[in-house]
Amino acid sequence: MAERRLPVVQTAGLCKTFRDFWRRPCVDAVKDLNLEIQPGEVFGLLGPNGSGKTTTIKLLLGLLYPTRGRISVFGKPPTDVSVKSRIGFLPEESYLYRFLVAHETLDYYGRLFRLPSRIRHERAERLLDMVGLRHEAKRRVGEYSKGMARRIGLAQALINDPEFLILDEPTSGLDPIGARQIKNVIRELGRKGKTILLSSHILADVEDVCDRVCILYGGQQRAAGDIDELLQRTDATQITLPAVSEATIEQIRDLIRRIEKKDITAVSHPRIRLEDFFLRIVEEAHAANIRTSGARVGGAVPEFLKTPTATTTEQIVESLVAASSRKIETVTPVLPTALPKPDHPERRVIEELLGAGDGRTVKATSDESVEIEAGDANQPADGWPTASAVGKPKIKRPRPPRAGDAGVIDELLGRKTDEPSRDRQGAVNEPNRDRQGAVNEPNRDRQGVVNEPNRDRKGAVNEPSRDRKGAVNESNRDRQEAVNEPNCDRKQAEDDEPQSNERLP
Amino acid sequence: MSTTWAIARHMIAEGIRMKIAFVLLVLIGLVVLGLPFTIRGDSSVSGAVQSFMAYAFNATGVLLGLLTIFLSRSVADELVQRQIFLLVTKPVARWQYILGKWLGITMLNAVFLATTGLTVYGLVHYIKRTHPPIDERYDAAELENEVLVARHALTVTPPDFTAPAQKEFERNVEQGLYDNVPDFKPEEEKERLARKYEAKWRVVGPFDARIFPFERVLCDRSSDRPLQLRYKTDVSGYPPDEVYRGLWQFGDPKKGTRVYQVPVRHVVGRFHTVRFPADAVAEDNTLNVVFVNENPFRDEPQANNVIDFRKTNEVQVLFVVGSFEWNMIRLLTLMLCKLMFLGATAILMVAVFSFPVACLASFTIYIFAGAGSFLNTALDLASDSNVTMFSSVKEFAVRSIIHLFGMLRWVVPDFSRYDAVEGFVNGQNVGLAWVLDGVFWLVCVKTVLVLGLAALFFHRREVAELSF
Repeated sequence: MAERRLPVVQTAGLCKTFRDFWRRPCVDAVKDLNLEIQPGEVFGLLGPNGSGKTTTIKLLLGLLYPTRGRISVFGKPPTDVSVKSRIGFLPEESYLYRFLVAHETLDYYGRLFRLPSRIRHERAERLLDMVGLRHEAKRRVGEYSKGMARRIGLAQALINDPEFLILDEPTSGLDPIGARQIKNVIRELGRKGKTILLSSHILADVEDVCDRVCILYGGQQRAAGDIDELLQRTDATQITLPAVSEATIEQIRDLIRRIEKKDITAVSHPRIRLEDFFLRIVEEAHAANIRTSGARVGGAVPEFLKTPTATTTEQIVESLVAASSRKIETVTPVLPTALPKPDHPERRVIEELLGAGDGRTVKATSDESVEIEAGDANQPADGWPTASAVGKPKIKRPRPPRAGDAGVIDELLGRKTDEPSRDRQGAVNEPNRDRQGAVNEPNRDRQGVVNEPNRDRKGAVNEPSRDRKGAVNESNRDRQEAVNEPNCDRKQAEDDEPQSNERLP
Repeated sequence: MSTTWAIARHMIAEGIRMKIAFVLLVLIGLVVLGLPFTIRGDSSVSGAVQSFMAYAFNATGVLLGLLTIFLSRSVADELVQRQIFLLVTKPVARWQYILGKWLGITMLNAVFLATTGLTVYGLVHYIKRTHPPIDERYDAAELENEVLVARHALTVTPPDFTAPAQKEFERNVEQGLYDNVPDFKPEEEKERLARKYEAKWRVVGPFDARIFPFERVLCDRSSDRPLQLRYKTDVSGYPPDEVYRGLWQFGDPKKGTRVYQVPVRHVVGRFHTVRFPADAVAEDNTLNVVFVNENPFRDEPQANNVIDFRKTNEVQVLFVVGSFEWNMIRLLTLMLCKLMFLGATAILMVAVFSFPVACLASFTIYIFAGAGSFLNTALDLASDSNVTMFSSVKEFAVRSIIHLFGMLRWVVPDFSRYDAVEGFVNGQNVGLAWVLDGVFWLVCVKTVLVLGLAALFFHRREVAELSF
């Protein structure tokens, strides 16, 4: 039987009260906090300003001492020096020495970890590559912009290949490239079994990378748990399919109205995220060798960070392996045939729509897709952003499907459509284009390989698209529904769609 | 140790790039390099060299003291600018951080002192070569024999006057002279009487002679290098030409040594040196020096002066025991010991207080240590005083301050005890025992104690909380 693994962080009744000059208590920054962070977990610490996030982190690092309560990090008090060789820390601001150049900075912190000279040098080079500052390695850190300093801050936090990484507002001050890179690093390290504690105001970042979160308010824990469980909406259903005509949507709407007595609340085309678009433009500029004294597109996560977490005992290594294999189990697509097929009215609706009673899904033939969200129009989801008006369903910037898409849909629906569909104003819908007019292609990396869609740690695609007002379109909200993004490659679509189909209630 | 060393290296890099450090180093450079061209001393080449060395080393000592206090700002800056967050979250013990910072400051001081020493050494030779001599032969010999050497100085051992003091005390008691003296302390009275006899012994009347015995004269008796007698006199009944005349005799015929007589004609109130051969010293390493207050120059008028060899103007016999170069190294070592203590003190202060407060406290301690002998005397007098000068509240406050300073005396060393510059510029040996004493008390005891306190305070300090 596998031995229960020691939590990386454990706090019990943790309290921190700040005092004034006369030692009178003035602020209760943290009140009775009980946290437990398990090995290999990406844990998010959320809360508004002054809610105690940074104080909690300082307590965990021994920068502050608790007024009451207990803390253990790797089973030891945070002031224990031996613990610190296993920790990497990126503070809320990059507190670096202004007079040192980037390479000297990393070398100095490497020395503090007693890393041999060769390894220090090697890691510094790799990390500078990773954060895209290799070309500015000889500049004083004091001359860096805030974002560049953050990048060096991240590099110093990783110089010791930490088992436990604490990131306080890691994306603050960073451009989208840096922010994306940090998220990629977090995902990568999370996959390698490292434990990460992330504190951030940027909820989308936390949502993208965290397994569990804890929300603080007034120094107290208000909510905590698995992020998927916390965010799952059971009062709405989301279907994503290749783009269809308005007529088809009307038919679907009628069908749902007839059978479910409910109305579709939103129909929209998913968009690529501005972050993806921005990154593509910057990558193009980088590829064109346009000169910049700022940060460049960073490189890949260095190999030394990809090695399994350094451990002291074989047991821990084994348990790490076991943990990662457990994760793999959760992302393995479940074959439709292996699942029961309950006789459920909604299933029948879908089967009718797809024109196939065997539960097979439609193969995506285009990047274009339409998101349909069905819900109880009279019961809007409390507390959640909604892209639809109550009552009448709203079609968001409908675009005509490409010929191939339309053909597939027509084939499915048993009808022929010759003309492109029009929006309500009668305009012919164009395919999704960027501002230069180029049809959006799937994201590709520099080698031309189609990028994988962002996935959560269980492998589910996780790209909630947003409208311009920032409201999250409800597609992809539910991670368990694992809806395919348009920029997902086809094989992935094939793998994922049956799963999403089978999971419909 | 590698962690401590990393922090020390970083401190050195930071110190070199600090603007305040740069300004102070420029000042040291200006003082050391500018002095040879501005100071002339007493017009002799030895005077010029002595003045240059005295000013250069004293100025360097003061400026490096200031620099040491300012360098400790590194710790304060790291706390305020929060670079400390990244340091203490690395596997660095708090004591290693404190030790590393101190080591960095000490190494910077060592480098600056070594640079100053080399510069001074080079400039001394420059002055020797370029300074116009008053008397080429005499000037050169004076410089070589009295300045650019390491001479051991022996002071005269006066006879024991306890017996005559006791006798007089008893006589006075019999006569009832102390009967009406309030708060009479017999031991103090006996000491006073002994001092009176010694003062009387140091005075040589006209046509009188005085024997000054020296013991443990551990020089090489066959050496070609002459021994030196250094003295200064006060003369009662000032001679009209400000010159007194007398005779010095070296050697003890009873112990079979050669005897040398040296007639002198010296200006009153100044230090003078008389040279004599080493074989005047007896085999038992004793030396008798006799002063005859009689004019040996028959053709010059005799002034009946009383010559006073006061204790403050000690009569000394000097003999060469080492080279100028090693003497300078020992002097620099003593200076470094003082700076090591000061560095530890400055770090203790910034570990507890914010920089302005810490800076002020460090300066106070620096001044306290520098004026140690004066303060010690003042404190002794104040604590022994029985006179009630103030009201009871003020009395209490004054007594508390005296006790506080009294306690500080145990921790803060008396820097004047280790002030070797004056002796060094006079060609006196900075003894190894003296240096070891400095290393032991200043570094091994007081610096370690202060660093320990700094580490303790810093260990207990929450670095994420600002100090006042």
